[in-house]
Amino acid sequence: MSVRDEHELKYQVTLVELVDRVLNKGVVLTGDITLSVADVDLVYVGLRVLLSSVATLEEQREISAAGAQL
Amino acid sequence: MIHLYGLVQQLEELPDVPGVGGAPLERRRIEGFELVVSQSKKELQEVSEKAVLTHANVVEELMGRSRAVLPARFGRAFTGEKELSDAVRTKAAGLESGLTRVRGCVEFGLRVLAREARRENSQPLSGREYMRARLAEATERDRLSEELHEPLTRLSRTSTRFGGAGAELLQAAYLVPEENAVAFREYLRRLETAYPRLALICTGPWPPYTFADEGKDPRERSA
Amino acid sequence: MSARHEPLDKLLTTRGDLRRIAGDLDHVPKAFPHRVNADPEQVERGLAQLVLTLVELLRQLMERQALRRMELETLTDEQVERMGETFMKLEQRMQELTAHFGLEDRDLNLNLGPLGDLL
Repeated sequence: MSVRDEHELKYQVTLVELVDRVLNKGVVLTGDITLSVADVDLVYVGLRVLLSSVATLEEQREISAAGAQL
Repeated sequence: MIHLYGLVQQLEELPDVPGVGGAPLERRRIEGFELVVSQSKKELQEVSEKAVLTHANVVEELMGRSRAVLPARFGRAFTGEKELSDAVRTKAAGLESGLTRVRGCVEFGLRVLAREARRENSQPLSGREYMRARLAEATERDRLSEELHEPLTRLSRTSTRFGGAGAELLQAAYLVPEENAVAFREYLRRLETAYPRLALICTGPWPPYTFADEGKDPRERSA
Repeated sequence: MSARHEPLDKLLTTRGDLRRIAGDLDHVPKAFPHRVNADPEQVERGLAQLVLTLVELLRQLMERQALRRMELETLTDEQVERMGETFMKLEQRMQELTAHFGLEDRDLNLNLGPLGDLL
């Protein structure tokens, strides 16, 4: 493995650890949205699923916001 | 939109780094808590590598300048000051205990990838033989997992452990008081030599993300 | 994607030769894939990967439950035998399906964070 590949691999490995913490852990401050989706948040499946799980959060927020206005 | 990085205690000064989207960092004082935020005109939170790294960088910088930092999860911005205040008020007790829990500590992570040898079914096993073999494997994995985990818990204020099924032998996070951090880091480094056959991913010191939220149900915690 | 990254400087284990564990680390998926693939075959493969990963997880969960009961000795010999046969068949089926979609074992690793401890 070249030095660059090794560097890249180390970077990716560390990035996974970081992303897991920033997106899955950390304190959650929210109104009254249930974040059960976040619990099942499939970070490691890839960006597509990641975005959709975050999008679902946004959707839920919009839904609950819309609901609050009714 | 207001993006929250975390809560801090005794923050010396705001770090001179950009927030998400290049926005400047700001402080807020709500219900006696000190928050670090930044503002954005964007409606939707963009979950990009850049944004996530920026968030992480800010929290990292805060860790170096405060007595305690309670990192916030990335991903959901607040529509305005009121929503932020309401959220803080709702969660005040949890935030207070969180800050107490993590004060003066850093986090280390350990991930041990299992070397699952692909079982070659060279000779057909009976159902019982198969189950016995799996049981032996599982027992050995548990033993090894405990062997790795236990000494680390002794250096930690608390810890959590996931894993057991799947390809990971152990996945754990440790909340380590600063005075033990150097010893802990050295111990992790030495694990490599002690277990040459295992693929270990030791990382840290991190801001205490894993111990920030009280959580729905805490995983295994040791005192 | 060729830009070099700033090292994140958090990785403590730094084997001199990563090649040795590169095989294991290979399956740690990239946190942010650099290209979103819209090729239908890739999409199907991606879906298969997701589904099979979940099935594999379930299989492991069930196996784990069975092993626990074995340990507690709440199963008869016959039950153990039948379970073993079932799990073996399941495992074989999984291997067939995985191979069919051009996936490897390592592609089915899915870290579910909090859920990982529901066993």
